[in-house]
Amino acid sequence: MAQRRVTVQSEVGLHARPAALFVEAAAKAGGEVTVAKGEGTPVSAKSILAVMGLDVRKGDEIVISAEGDDADALLDRLVEIAEAG
Amino acid sequence: MLHVLAPVPGTAVAMAEVPDPVFAQGMVGPGAAVQPAPRPQEAVAPVSGQVVKLHPHAFMVLADGARGVLVHLGIDTVKLDGAGFEKLVEEGAHVEAGTPVIRWNPADVEAKGLSAVVPVVALDADTGAVDAPARGEVATGDALFSWS
Repeated sequence: MAQRRVTVQSEVGLHARPAALFVEAAAKAGGEVTVAKGEGTPVSAKSILAVMGLDVRKGDEIVISAEGDDADALLDRLVEIAEAG
Repeated sequence: MLHVLAPVPGTAVAMAEVPDPVFAQGMVGPGAAVQPAPRPQEAVAPVSGQVVKLHPHAFMVLADGARGVLVHLGIDTVKLDGAGFEKLVEEGAHVEAGTPVIRWNPADVEAKGLSAVVPVVALDADTGAVDAPARGEVATGDALFSWS
């Protein structure tokens, strides 16, 4: 299990466009991908409902975890989306 | 089968016509959109369930504890920071389909140079799960699409 911590920089947090891009990227992965707000309970990063339900705001820290061979490349991409302003 | 109602009065259009790729390309899910009548109005819950997210410009109702329907009042309206939108229920409330959730005026949104079109999205649904989308004039509470 690979894991990254990142502070969300998007003005709208992980909602609307950033949330859609995030879930779209995660959904392409073969293995399980989760996201949690801070030390909260991880939810599936492949579900827009779950991701928007986390209510991640600008400045919140999230923890993204992924399994599988492509985990590192995927996490790079997800971090990039979360850090985009 | 979940019947999803028009949350606002106006003209039902295909999601592909929404001027935002997040919605037009179905990135958050399939559905339909309504070009709202340009007058003050109350946006209502499209399904019965729990209002799991409530922003001034958008809300999400979770039906059957499993299926989330997103109603987004206009495009990029998060930029308005709530101005011109009045919440009529509390986040977490249980509502019946047709319950007023947000009071707003699409004409004010358009006057600020934004599109007031209202995408109604079956979150996480497969494209084929949405059927019989309405087209043309709809009143608040008319059938907008069904979700199998």
